[in-house]
Amino acid sequence: MSRKILIVGAGQSGLQLAHGLLQHGYQVTLMSARTADEIRGGRVMSTQAMFDAALQHERDLGLNFWEDEGPHFDGLGFSLAGPDGSLALDWAGRLNAFAQSVDQRVKMAGWLEALEQRGGRVIIHGVTVSDLDRLVNRYDLTIVAAGKGELVQLFGRDPSHSPYAAPQRALSVVYVHGLGPRPERGDLATVNFNLVPGVGELFIMPALTTTGPCDILFFEGIPDGPLDRFTGIRSPEEHLRLTLELMERYVPWEYARAHNVELTDWGGTLAGRYAPVVRNPVGPLPSGGAVLGMADVVVANDPITGQGSNNAAKCAAIYLERILAHGDRPYDQAFMQEVFGHFWDYAQYPTTWTNAMLQPPPPHIVQVLGAAAGHQQIADRFANGFNDPRDFFSWFMDPGKAASYLESVVGAAV
Amino acid sequence: MVSRPSSTELSPTAISTKIVIAGGFGAGKTTFVRSISEIEPVTTEALMTEASQDFDDLAATPEKITTTVAMDFGRVSLDQELALYLFGTPGQDRFWFLWDDLIRGALGAVVLADPRRLADCFPAVEYFENVPEAPFIVALNCFDGILPFELDDVRAALAIGPEVPLLTCDARDTASAVYTLTELVRYAMNFAGPPALV
Amino acid sequence: MKGTAMLRSSRVRPYAITGGRTIARMPLLLETLVSVPDYDLMVHQMLVAESRDIYALCRSVQSIAEISAALDMPLGVVRVLVSDLADDGRLRIHPTAVHAGVPEHMLLERVLRGLQTIKH
Repeated sequence: MSRKILIVGAGQSGLQLAHGLLQHGYQVTLMSARTADEIRGGRVMSTQAMFDAALQHERDLGLNFWEDEGPHFDGLGFSLAGPDGSLALDWAGRLNAFAQSVDQRVKMAGWLEALEQRGGRVIIHGVTVSDLDRLVNRYDLTIVAAGKGELVQLFGRDPSHSPYAAPQRALSVVYVHGLGPRPERGDLATVNFNLVPGVGELFIMPALTTTGPCDILFFEGIPDGPLDRFTGIRSPEEHLRLTLELMERYVPWEYARAHNVELTDWGGTLAGRYAPVVRNPVGPLPSGGAVLGMADVVVANDPITGQGSNNAAKCAAIYLERILAHGDRPYDQAFMQEVFGHFWDYAQYPTTWTNAMLQPPPPHIVQVLGAAAGHQQIADRFANGFNDPRDFFSWFMDPGKAASYLESVVGAAV
Repeated sequence: MVSRPSSTELSPTAISTKIVIAGGFGAGKTTFVRSISEIEPVTTEALMTEASQDFDDLAATPEKITTTVAMDFGRVSLDQELALYLFGTPGQDRFWFLWDDLIRGALGAVVLADPRRLADCFPAVEYFENVPEAPFIVALNCFDGILPFELDDVRAALAIGPEVPLLTCDARDTASAVYTLTELVRYAMNFAGPPALV
Repeated sequence: MKGTAMLRSSRVRPYAITGGRTIARMPLLLETLVSVPDYDLMVHQMLVAESRDIYALCRSVQSIAEISAALDMPLGVVRVLVSDLADDGRLRIHPTAVHAGVPEHMLLERVLRGLQTIKH
């Protein structure tokens, strides 16, 4: 008798894990609050830039349905606004392998349909505590992977790993067609990271959406600052108009290529904010059962480093590996803690790095970003850190290590 | 409650459809459902987590962080082969995913409003304006038959378009409730559906 | 804008790999009717408690919402158990009007006629 696993949530982590378990012979039931068509016809959920290590986990499961459709990007561009609003610094690092952003409306809808087609049980239902309370005993293991739902409240906040109690950025996302290229980048397709000190960040990346290739304009505004103006805007046209107005004002070099943009569709905008948080992985239920949290249910970082869907993919891969390794033994709370521990062994790095990036850059990081303009090697290393942020801890995150690394590169170049 | 002899037993080949009765707390949703339903309105309940304002409340137990959300509904057999269900939305309108479940597959929705507390139905109106597939009408539940405002003023206050039907009703009165549903169905017949791009 | 959006949608084929648009199982709506096609006491005795209650109740046609209310069972549990029972052929899931292929205007006409027969 194969083991029965219930997964709540139809996002990157829940669906990826469901497919993985199904391929290994587990009986998988996945509960989604929305149907595939509702996901596809709904609002955008993320910017979901995924780098090679995360994409590889999808390839491993045969879930890279849109890899050939593109668009891919091969580099990370960095632009710094000077005090007078001009472009003070601009460079691009090259990724060792391409990255891609497939609109989660396309991806999750497709994965959900594929799961059912491959033999998984899909139940369309917005899960409540009552449901979980009565369902846990019917499954060997129940996993909550719905990071945006109300069930996250089951998992207590872990203050020792959650330095912020309030949102650190106000988010605004617009999906557009018709964005031109950045001429400085030549043939290198990039995600562009524009830093406006004291104001916030603007990220621009190519993506694949329901209406084909597009670009995503993603503002991270410091709360109550000049970019924090999207709350309460209801019309997508107004959202785009305001985005362009702010681009013209704060990142004119990006605005220069935005004269012909139009919204991809009525659901192509998103605004919001949330406090980064790490939660306890075991969610206790009223009648004594327990559920295991995964991905952004337990580690929700600010999107400033674009790690959300990468962490979700890596979390799903780690959970799959641990569940398989556990064999026939019971999935008790000790097991849940252990599985999360394996994820946290990795996730602590992107979490610490992401939380640091929310602060004004300290002098050694300013120095690194400046040096990258003159040394391609540094720019490339920075770019590839987004694929595996653990590398930042060997240089970027530590003043002493950063200094010795810069010395080794600059010294060698002289 | 409507008495409809021999209609409560549905045929083994019956199909079903539904209409959602939305509105703020105390707008008369259950009364409306009761005045049409051939069964005494029934309730299904669910336990939800209660969003904690206190981030550091590690002592919170599931018992302490949960709240019960109830949903009332009724049924009317339109013919032997077709059952119409009427679902009232839960009072707490922050559980939007429950609304999504209610509206999925619905013919449309009636937003009931208490004219004395018009603002209570704003979240419902806003919700349906963001679900372009579902036609909705607004019915002012006038308990005493007196509307203290002009309908045009109400339309302006609710910020609904000129195409959305706005009428008065008495939720306790079967004829009035039937008329309200009839208006929704007539509107649905001419409903253009969502534009490709708003 | 409507025209360009439609044009663009032909550029991407998100379902190409899964063999074209798959036919997803109809979701169990709150109003979805369920019934037992051939009630069998042997089956009844074989089922575990909660499934047994649903099986017995659905000797007469019931909606998902009615099952939940009558058995005091959370909707998600009803959906899971009904799904299981239907897969084993124990329950029949009736199509809802939106899934039965009834043209929308015909359905609305029928609802209108039905409403007009309600006695006040």
